[in-house]
Amino acid sequence: MKAFLALLLAFAIGLGGGLVYAWGLNPVSYTDTSPASLREDFRADYLTLIAVAYDASGDLPRARARLAQFAYAEPGPILAALAQQRLGQGWPESQARALARLAADLASPAAVASAPTSTPAVAGTATPTRTATLVPSPAPTRTPTSTPGAPFRLLAQDPVCDPDLGQPLLQVEVVDAAGQPVAGSEVRVVWDTGQDHFFTGLKPDLGIGYGDFRLTPGVAYSVQLVDSDQPVTGLTAGECLAEDGTRYPGSWLLRFQQPSR
Amino acid sequence: MHRHEVHALKPIVRLLVALIVGAAVGLIYGWVVQPVRYVDTAPGSLRADYRTDYVLMVAQAYTSEQDLPTAQVRLASLGPQAPADLVTAALTYAVDHGFTRADLETLNQLAVALRSAAPAAEIQAP
Repeated sequence: MKAFLALLLAFAIGLGGGLVYAWGLNPVSYTDTSPASLREDFRADYLTLIAVAYDASGDLPRARARLAQFAYAEPGPILAALAQQRLGQGWPESQARALARLAADLASPAAVASAPTSTPAVAGTATPTRTATLVPSPAPTRTPTSTPGAPFRLLAQDPVCDPDLGQPLLQVEVVDAAGQPVAGSEVRVVWDTGQDHFFTGLKPDLGIGYGDFRLTPGVAYSVQLVDSDQPVTGLTAGECLAEDGTRYPGSWLLRFQQPSR
Repeated sequence: MHRHEVHALKPIVRLLVALIVGAAVGLIYGWVVQPVRYVDTAPGSLRADYRTDYVLMVAQAYTSEQDLPTAQVRLASLGPQAPADLVTAALTYAVDHGFTRADLETLNQLAVALRSAAPAAEIQAP
């Protein structure tokens, strides 16, 4: 019995020594990490940098390969949420725009059609840049963006009664001259006691040219697309009648289009 | 006499074996089964290829933004080295690993801009 206890003690000492060595003295290397292990704030910076680099290069396959390092099933909504978060935190609007544009381009039908059917080779342990550069460089598929100097026109201003929305919204849809949705358009909203802004494309599941803003019943809003010279004034959440006779605040849908030159 | 010595040594051998087996189990558990998992790392610990890609992204952003201070702040995340040295290291890696000419030119533009910029105050890594 005594011998058995001694053996057990020796085993325990050996085990403890092994763990101290493996976890403390010589742990798995801390260098050579991947972007997926980055701290949350660094990861947000990294994702933003991917978007800004994409904004500059227009290289969607490479942006996809870079995003694949994070193994997100659907990176688009994550980028869109990050864009909103950064906008709210006061980061430069160009970053939010770039994030929104990448989120929108990832979701656009043309981009989806051109997306590789398999996971990009960059995932896992492959060298990201080399792999990405091996991809042929077709003409980048970009989501249309607004063209300076061609102010958008208000096409329609329609009240919306949709109880499924759950809250009164200012909904904005922006399309270019060809009728294609435009992501990254900034919309300014002003009311008596404040102002705010939002971008189209932050909710790619609802359309890359779509953006919305929550309205407070009883407050009058002025709305202007930054790329438009037509402010829409006096917007208030109207009153809608539900099927059961109850009343609820309604929404507005504004549609803007860039005129043909 | 000889038999007696062998009997006396046996428990020590057993203890040593148990110690070694325990250490081996500990190492296997610590390195393989449940290794130290590094989460919440900083860009400074990125593998060389990811570091190079990071620098390339900074350079691509710089070509569009032309904002050198922002590029310097982004590069500062990679560590205390001078931003120009980080870009030079990335260029070296890119040349060695067959990056495209466009990538090399993009990196070179940033390197030139950093080299030609007046020495700025040291940027602290976050």
